[in-house]
Amino acid sequence: MNANDVIESYVTDVAVKLPRKQRNDVAFELRALLNEELQGRAETAGRAADAAMATELVRAFGRPADVAARYRPTLTIIDPADGHAFLRASIVGLVIIWGAGLAEYLRPPVDSGWSFLTALGQWWGKALIPSLWWPGVLVVGFGAASWARRRRPQSAEWKPRAAERVRGSRVALVMGLVGILCGLFVLIDPRWFLDLFLGGREAPAVREAFTYTETFRHRQAPWVLVLILLNIPMMIAAIANGRRLSSIMRRVEMELSLVTCAVLTWTVLGGPVFLGPATDRMFKLALVLIIAITLIHIGVTLRRSVSPAPDRRIQA
Amino acid sequence: MGDADTFGKLELELRRGVVVLATLSQLRAPRYGYELRQALAANGMSIEEGTLYPLLRRLETQGVLESEWRIEDGPPRRYYSLNADGRRLLRKLTESWQGMNGAMDRLLKED
Repeated sequence: MNANDVIESYVTDVAVKLPRKQRNDVAFELRALLNEELQGRAETAGRAADAAMATELVRAFGRPADVAARYRPTLTIIDPADGHAFLRASIVGLVIIWGAGLAEYLRPPVDSGWSFLTALGQWWGKALIPSLWWPGVLVVGFGAASWARRRRPQSAEWKPRAAERVRGSRVALVMGLVGILCGLFVLIDPRWFLDLFLGGREAPAVREAFTYTETFRHRQAPWVLVLILLNIPMMIAAIANGRRLSSIMRRVEMELSLVTCAVLTWTVLGGPVFLGPATDRMFKLALVLIIAITLIHIGVTLRRSVSPAPDRRIQA
Repeated sequence: MGDADTFGKLELELRRGVVVLATLSQLRAPRYGYELRQALAANGMSIEEGTLYPLLRRLETQGVLESEWRIEDGPPRRYYSLNADGRRLLRKLTESWQGMNGAMDRLLKED
C-alpha cells in the first residue's frame, strides 16, 4: 500500500458517512487537500511521501466518523442539559424492571441449581432483553422535549414558583380533606358504605366479604385510624394558610408519611384484612399503590430539597 | 494552576472561540483550504486541518461563504471567500472581539 492508497481509503471512509448530495464533492476536495498536506510534510521532512507518512497525516486529521460529523451541523437528540436526568431515569427504570422480573421468575420454588439457572435464563430472555424498550421510550421522550424547546423556546422559559406551597389548589385540598373524612367513615366500618348505597339489601355473602377480620381490627386498624386522623389538622393548616406549611409542619408531614407507609406495609403483609378473599386482594392492591405513590412523593421531595449553607465555616 | 491536561483543554476552548473569526478574516479574498491554513499559520494561528476544512463547508452551508472550483497552476481547487453576509458577520464579530479584547486587557492588567 502506498501513500496514495492510504489517502484514497481514508477519503472513501469519510465520504460514505456524508449525505449523498455532498459526498463526491467533499471527497474530491478532501483528497486534493490531503495530497497537498502530504506534499508539504514530505518537503519539510526532505524525503518522498510514503504510506507511513500518509497514515500519520490522516490519523492526525481524525477518525473518519468524527471528520464526517464536522462537515455537518451538530445533531443533538438529547440536550446535554438532560444527560444526567436521562441516565438516572434509564438506570432507575431498568433496575425496577429487572428487579420485578427477577422476583417473578424466582417466585416458583427454586429447589435446585438447574431450576435456578432455568429461572435466570427466563429472566434474561423475557425480562432483561425486552427491558430495552425503556431507554428507547426515554430517548423518544427526551428527544421530543428537546425538539419542542428548540421550536418554542418561550414555552421552556423558567417560571418562579412558591417552593413552600403544598401542591394542588385550595379546592383540591378541601376535596382531599373530604376524601379523607369519607375514607375514615369507610375505614371504621365498610359495611356502612354498603348500607348507604344498597340500603342493606345486599346478599349476606357481600356483607361478609366487606367485614374486617378480627386480627386486623385489633392489630393494625387502630394505628391506621390514628394516622389518618393525624393528617386532618395538617390539611386544615395548609388550607387556612393559603397552601403554605412551615418547615416544621413539612418535616412532620414527611415523617407521618413514612410511618403511614410502614403501617400500611405491615397491613399488607400481616394477614387478611377482609373476610372476603377478593375484597382483601383488591384492598391490598390499593394499599400497595398508595405506598408506592407516597414513597415516590417522598423521594421526589427529598431530591428537590435544598438547604443553602456554606460547606466551610464563614470567616468573621 | 491545574495540570498540563487542564491547561490544554482550556487553551483549546479559547482557540475554538476565535477559529471562526480568524478564518473569516483571511477570506476577504478567495483562498483554497491548504493556502488558507498556511496563511493562518504564518500569522501565528495554526488550525488543525481536520478542524479547518470541514469548518469551511459549514460556514458555506450557513450562508456566509461562497465557493467555486478553479484550476490555477495545479490541480482543481475549491476557493472560498466571504459573501455580503459574511462581510457583515466579519465586521460584527471584529467589533465584538475588539470589545472583549479591550475588556480582557483591562482585567488582566497587573496592578
